[in-house]
Amino acid sequence: MDAVERANAEKQKRWVKDQKVGEGTYAVVYRGREAATGRRVAIKKIKIGQFKDGLDMSAIREVKYLRELHHQNVIGLLDVFSSKTNLNLVLEFLDSDLEMIIKDRSLVFLPADIKSWMAMTIRGLEFCHRNFILHRDLKPNNLLVASDGQLKIADFGLARDFADPGYKMTSQVITRWYRPPELLFGCRYYSSAVDIWSVGCIFAELMLRTPYLPGETDMDQLRTIFRALGTPTEEEWPGYTKLPDYIPVGQFPKTPLRDLFTAASGDALNLLSRCLIYEPRRRITAIEALHHPYFTGLPYPTHPSKLPRPASRASRPLEEVDGNVDMVDSGPGVKAVASNRLKRKLSSPMDGVRPLARRLDFTQHKGS
Amino acid sequence: MSNRTSVGGWLVGKTKTVRKGGVTPASAHNTRSNTPQVQSTSTTVFGGGVKDASGRTTEFFSMDDQCPVCRSDRYLNPKLRLLVSSCYHKMCESCIDRLFTLGPAPCPICQKVLRKLAFTPQTFEDLTVEKEVAVRRRIAKEFNKRREDFPDLRSYNDYLEEVEDITFNLINEVNIPETEARIEAYRRENAALIELNVRRDEQYSQELKQQEEQERLEREQRAQEARRLEELEREEKEKGRREIIDRLETSTKDAAEIIAKSRAEATKRAASRAAATTTFKSSAQLLRSRAAQSTTIPDVPHVPLQDDWYAYGDMYARLDHYDDMYSEAVRQDQEGIMKAGGYKVEEAWERALRSAVTALFLPPLSDPENSLTSATFLQPKNDVVPT
Repeated sequence: MDAVERANAEKQKRWVKDQKVGEGTYAVVYRGREAATGRRVAIKKIKIGQFKDGLDMSAIREVKYLRELHHQNVIGLLDVFSSKTNLNLVLEFLDSDLEMIIKDRSLVFLPADIKSWMAMTIRGLEFCHRNFILHRDLKPNNLLVASDGQLKIADFGLARDFADPGYKMTSQVITRWYRPPELLFGCRYYSSAVDIWSVGCIFAELMLRTPYLPGETDMDQLRTIFRALGTPTEEEWPGYTKLPDYIPVGQFPKTPLRDLFTAASGDALNLLSRCLIYEPRRRITAIEALHHPYFTGLPYPTHPSKLPRPASRASRPLEEVDGNVDMVDSGPGVKAVASNRLKRKLSSPMDGVRPLARRLDFTQHKGS
Repeated sequence: MSNRTSVGGWLVGKTKTVRKGGVTPASAHNTRSNTPQVQSTSTTVFGGGVKDASGRTTEFFSMDDQCPVCRSDRYLNPKLRLLVSSCYHKMCESCIDRLFTLGPAPCPICQKVLRKLAFTPQTFEDLTVEKEVAVRRRIAKEFNKRREDFPDLRSYNDYLEEVEDITFNLINEVNIPETEARIEAYRRENAALIELNVRRDEQYSQELKQQEEQERLEREQRAQEARRLEELEREEKEKGRREIIDRLETSTKDAAEIIAKSRAEATKRAASRAAATTTFKSSAQLLRSRAAQSTTIPDVPHVPLQDDWYAYGDMYARLDHYDDMYSEAVRQDQEGIMKAGGYKVEEAWERALRSAVTALFLPPLSDPENSLTSATFLQPKNDVVPT
């Protein structure tokens, strides 16, 4: 036993696995605790054996970025150790996520609650962006909520650092409903603005209590966006017709946001509209958003401990493992079906209503 | 019956008018013969007819209508439309057109000088009612004090009596100049209060509208939820049935036993589902419980940044341009693809610069035990941030 192995064995002893709480395609999640203190943790066991080409990409990304990011509004990676052929990530234990909260019809949101969640989300995101990391999969499902009400950004399986000039990035990221138009047009050079679009969609979803832009396919997603916000003009978004996968999807008129968000304050709508600006370079940045008058104005954001929380149930699946990234390297067809079934088993009972929702559609763009 | 579908171009406005008793041919087959129909749009300057709850004016309309000026009646002219002048005399549209197109002219009945735009559709059969409504409406606009604006009930009653007095005078045209003077005096004295009450009323009606909308949404949601549950239940039942058939097909066990087992499972599932769906409270109730929640933890104002990360900002200045072979690609981006996608080469430069200066003032790692947390070199430590 060499020094590395010894150190690993010691780490392994620090944590105790309890019962299994969820299973994704590339990981199993256990509820666990720290042996010495009894602190509750989640242990994510990544199956290495399954992948011929070594460790799954998303696992590498997750470890790589979470090891560096330590912030109140980003999920904490407490430890990493290996056991036999598996890699184990020890994460903070968080018992609910924002999707659950949005869907729980027995909860009522005050404008101040939404403000509080938004402030925590953007604060966490700003921390990622200031460290030059793009999250690339923001959605209510990946915003976990701790027992003290603190919201934490989780699932860094699709994250990456800002590209150096000339390096292409994949456009096949971010769950469809939260994917910005530049990615839908197949853009390979993009920036932190992609996360801001997702934040805008989440903001709208918090106000509407239903997904704002639920497209059925990638094409339909573009149509849904344009129908809601109007087809962009060349002036509003210079050069977008030159993007690799540009397809005209029809002309839709602009409708004021006020028509849909009848109860929102002017500041809230202003922030929302600036998150959903078509031209990525003009979209508000995370740090600008934090200084937006929406946050400083009245009412003050609700103190996290007073935010609405779903009624506690015996066991909650960790949504974080929903494995929506797993189809990147597995072929289409059989695998995809299997993971979909897993997903359904995992998530809240309401999920059956929108089975298409939580999967990235990788089959659409196979040719590009 | 009238076939009128639109009015001549001169009476145009945003008030929708409904004519009582009119039937348009297009909808005649599916409405009762005396259902009011939207007939025309017309503008109203004085009084403006009487609007119903939906903001439309219902126009009075009778078979015996006859224009007192030109004597044409509905029999001769089925499109006859009588409008009321500000002196409460009726005449038909064509007479109004004829008499007043060239500017103000005296009323053919009482000689009062009238203008073309001051004619309004008739709502009530009795024109004195029409007049009273218009007068009361005018008065209510300014005499809008409330009980809480008076120190005691007595003065409030006196005020109400005065209002009634003025109204009576105006309706019956008693002492008009003196009454008008009284109104003017009142207006001057109470300008601020009138304005305030107008705003109060507006606010109230807006709140009412919002509340109605809220309740409507809530009802819709509840209905939707109920539908969803029903659907779920149906699906569940169907699934159970299929399962039983499948099991009967493949299993060798006794049929009755299998059915009993499946049934038991189904009831169990149903029970768990019922437990899972929380009982729906009305949101008003929930809101109240939210408000009643302990206020011991106060909400604090938003602080944009909670650390001094950007204190590093003054350690370097980014130039607008760098001679950098990697960003050549961006400069050559003729088509603007990178720009359209939001890529900013400045961010890459910013990152390189920041990486160069970040953690310059951190002490070297000393605790090998803590190797994981020591990877947090990106985090500025408060005690070593340069000042």
